[in-house]
Amino acid sequence: MALLKRSQNLLFSMNQFQFYLVKKGVTSSVTLHNKENTDNKAVDSVSGSNEVSSKNDKEYRPYSPFNVPLKRENLAEFVVARIDDVLNLARKNSLWPLTFGLACCAVEMMHIAAPRYDMDRFGMIFRASPRQADVLIVAGTVTNKMAPALRQIYEQMPNPKWVISMGSCANGGGYYHYSYAVVRGCDRIIPVDIYVPGCPPSAEALLYGLLLLQKKIKRIALIQKWYRK
Amino acid sequence: MERVLLVYEKILRKIGLEKFGNLIEIIRINDGPVNSLKKLTYYDDLKKGTLVGTDEFGNRYYNNNYYFFGRNRWVEYADHVGFNYDGSQVPPEWYGWLHYKTDYLPENDPTRPNYPWVLKPSENLTGTKAAYMCYSTTKPKIVVWTPQSKQKA
Amino acid sequence: MLRSSIQKAAKVSRRCVHIGNTNKAAVAKPSAEQTLLEVYIDDKKVLVEPGTTVLQAAALVGVEIPRFCYHERLAIAGNCRMCLVEIEKSPKPVAACAMPVMNGWRVKTNSEMTRKAREGVMEFLLVNHPLDCPICDQGGECDLQDQSMAFGSDRSRFTDIDFSGKRAVEDKDIGPLVKTIMTRCIHCTRCIRFASEVAGVDDLGTTGRGSDMQVGTYIEKMFLSELSGNVIDLCPVGALTSKPYSFTARPWETRKIESIDVLDAVGSNIVVSTRTNEVMRILPLLNEQVNEEWLADKSRFSYDGLKTQRLAFPMVKFDSGELKAVEWEDTLKHAAQALNNANGQIVGIAGPLVDAEALIAFKDLLNKLGSEHVYTENAFPLSGSGIDIRASYLFNSKIVGIEQADLVLLIGTNPRYDAPLINTRIRKSYVHNELDVALIGPKIDLTYDYEHLGNSASTVKDLISGSHPFNKRLAQAKKPLIILGAQQLKRSDGAALLAAVQQLAKKTAEISKVDASWKVFNLLQEAASQVAALDLGYKPGISNLKSLPAKVLYLLGADDSDVLKESIPTDTFVIYQGHHGETGAELADVIFPGVTYTEKQGTYVNTEGRAQQTLNAVTPPGYARTDWKILRALSEIAGKTLEYETLQEVRKRLEEVSPNLTSYGNVQESNFIAQATELSKSVKNNLESKPIDLKLKKLEDYFMTDVISRSSVTMSKCIQAVLKQKQNKYYDGVEK
Repeated sequence: MALLKRSQNLLFSMNQFQFYLVKKGVTSSVTLHNKENTDNKAVDSVSGSNEVSSKNDKEYRPYSPFNVPLKRENLAEFVVARIDDVLNLARKNSLWPLTFGLACCAVEMMHIAAPRYDMDRFGMIFRASPRQADVLIVAGTVTNKMAPALRQIYEQMPNPKWVISMGSCANGGGYYHYSYAVVRGCDRIIPVDIYVPGCPPSAEALLYGLLLLQKKIKRIALIQKWYRK
Repeated sequence: MERVLLVYEKILRKIGLEKFGNLIEIIRINDGPVNSLKKLTYYDDLKKGTLVGTDEFGNRYYNNNYYFFGRNRWVEYADHVGFNYDGSQVPPEWYGWLHYKTDYLPENDPTRPNYPWVLKPSENLTGTKAAYMCYSTTKPKIVVWTPQSKQKA
Repeated sequence: MLRSSIQKAAKVSRRCVHIGNTNKAAVAKPSAEQTLLEVYIDDKKVLVEPGTTVLQAAALVGVEIPRFCYHERLAIAGNCRMCLVEIEKSPKPVAACAMPVMNGWRVKTNSEMTRKAREGVMEFLLVNHPLDCPICDQGGECDLQDQSMAFGSDRSRFTDIDFSGKRAVEDKDIGPLVKTIMTRCIHCTRCIRFASEVAGVDDLGTTGRGSDMQVGTYIEKMFLSELSGNVIDLCPVGALTSKPYSFTARPWETRKIESIDVLDAVGSNIVVSTRTNEVMRILPLLNEQVNEEWLADKSRFSYDGLKTQRLAFPMVKFDSGELKAVEWEDTLKHAAQALNNANGQIVGIAGPLVDAEALIAFKDLLNKLGSEHVYTENAFPLSGSGIDIRASYLFNSKIVGIEQADLVLLIGTNPRYDAPLINTRIRKSYVHNELDVALIGPKIDLTYDYEHLGNSASTVKDLISGSHPFNKRLAQAKKPLIILGAQQLKRSDGAALLAAVQQLAKKTAEISKVDASWKVFNLLQEAASQVAALDLGYKPGISNLKSLPAKVLYLLGADDSDVLKESIPTDTFVIYQGHHGETGAELADVIFPGVTYTEKQGTYVNTEGRAQQTLNAVTPPGYARTDWKILRALSEIAGKTLEYETLQEVRKRLEEVSPNLTSYGNVQESNFIAQATELSKSVKNNLESKPIDLKLKKLEDYFMTDVISRSSVTMSKCIQAVLKQKQNKYYDGVEK
């Protein structure tokens, strides 16, 4: 179950160059790019994710990804972090996906709404209108002819909005990668949050992708960023 | 006495009060009302079952054939992960049992090979700093200059 | 020989070009009708001068006649027969490209006879043309493809594939630039005519006749010329295609961006074809004022140099002496700190490929930091009129002016390699207009005959004094031109030479009694950035780097090893900003990655003083940024913020300094030539007796002259090919 996730706000899209910290030379901390070094401690995403700590597997993982202790001097930070938590809790538990079934993946997408996988228990209800949807699940091959429609539908969705690319075709053209009529990945048209691999991915895999999206939503630091500014 | 109990049970079942007994039983098994509420918030579900095993990460696996197929095997994740449980925290050997690939428990599964080079399973690290980053294998379009200032000294 | 034989054809075509302009006037004035011929093209009346061909007359009324061998800029061959048209009362169809019209002719370009004639010609062409369009690089821009669709028959009668089959011709190796698939050749002979008329190398020709006819080089040799790439554009089929471009892209999937070439000072107009953010090829763009429709090989083929040796990350030299890639912010801070600590002891040198926007930002920044030491790499003497009068550093008569000239005196320049497209103009005039050329400098092959006046600079003095026999010729000339190579100004007596040539120009104008508007003196620049830099007030030519107080040396694309090899003091902090890693980057303590001309919207001024702009064709690699934006960011971090933030604002600033820089496509007439000559009299230095030498004398010198062409693999292959050619036992020893 190796789901790939790419953060939208990566510093640099050419990801063959990775980053690591050095503390010598001109400035006290200078970030360098080095191809050989795979240690990428310095990818300092805004999220401040604390889900996995390499030191201790058994360490308790708190609910909130924002590790702001309640102290007198950072009371304001604590408050905005908790406001963010509440906002995210509301957002992630009422994800309304848009049905954008394009091919066989759409059949698996139907399954997660059916009783066996029952996405309703996570507060997810399929909507048929982009105006009411939060998540766009691109389920199937995006053809060149469909591309403008996909973009338009994405534009029509209200913010905040997320995109799940479901299946090989949506991820990168898949089986039809070399076709003259197919978009080689829907991320050429819209920004994608979650890529679900598979041809087609099982309903369980898609559900797992939706759960990962919930995790991602949990890390949105909207109010905190505003406060820090 | 037994007859009396049976009749008593029949009466309870008739008026549906045995469900209440079940509830109390489940709450008792799940360590009291406080812990039961906690589990209910974590998993949106409260069940009773036999603990069939525990894995190296502290996840507990339960079985109760009272529930129908598909819900009769379940996992309760290790306590320290709290709300941050994830399907990928289940190691592969238990995955098979949970998904009815096999009815054998991991410890007495004869088909499961045990190679020394198999790595310890790791959970999905996406969204963390240790996440896998794919890299391009295509020839770069631009050849970047690499300084040779070392020779200059 | 060629000159006399072409004369007749050329006269015809020249007159025809003239017709295009006068015809409208003729229609307006019926009195002129008597001298004109009345021709009807598809019953449309057109009045043309005698000598016009049917094809040209048809073009005047907008009727296009298909053609393969006919080309406006080449002599008429009339051998493809595709332009056959019916003329009333003529029993046979007539080749429109070669037939001059006669009074009262009625030409039918879409009659049954014409249609059948075209179909027949097309059928014969296709019988021996392979059906390999799907793997042919010409596909999509092939004249044969297009015209067989438009004018060919809709079915084939070719069934003989098993018996005699199609003609097959062995491919020829004519060098690393042009790929030949000779089976596709339809014998239009455009390439042959181009080589002998425009490029001036009689390497190509035909052997055999009938179906055995072959286009080739007679003996096994390469077609090596500085203009060889143009035969690719001329070839109407896929017989001659580009070797570096082969099988890389299709014309319909590339994006075409009109831009400017910067590898010489001509400023040729180009089309950059890109696909997936990569430059796939460079083609010439028609501009009659500058490059017509030709392009020199270095400009056309060195684009692979844009993809190698690039600086893509800001870099800083660490204490260990190692250059390492660092974040922009840290690099800028590091450089700004050094600049601020220098207390104005900063020297800036701008290289040959820098655009005017970067030049102005660079100069403004250094001035704000308290330094006036902003130099260009190429020399220009400041004594005499210096850079105050533009006429002393421009090609005053403009490139088109060469076509009117009847005598050109070249002093210390080899236009064939310094500016190949200026040389084609001189050759064009030599072939068609009886232009005579003389040269002071070493003996070189200019592709046309010239009178060699020796290689001594003192010849200029003799010419001024009137004691030289060539003075007679100068006096006879009606429109003489003197072209001085900018490279000579690097000489120690450069100032004296410039002054002497200016005075010679004045004297020539006097003795030959030229029109006041005719400008005799021309300077042929070498670097694309030089004119803009001089317009902006840069100090030209850094010769005494050592004597300058340089705590910080800022190199803006300056890689000239002649300048930099002078030992830079070890405590000097060197900042290099540019797009290729070479001499400058090796020396640097801080490297800012800049962009090449295909990656920015930048202003360049060519040797005529014509401002033109490049456009973004691809995005810069990695962290590289537009040069003026880097300088703007640096200025802000150094606490000396420049006042402009957008390109429009930079250009407004350019306009403040020199308004001609933003008047794109135009040349401002240079004036004050007399004053410049007057000022030049103040120069006292005497000319030295040391002979005039040239930087680029042979073809192998031509290919690698700047950072882009030096990092191009194609260009190094060209040099290899030239050197290999010299090993050939048939090599005749004449410098081609």
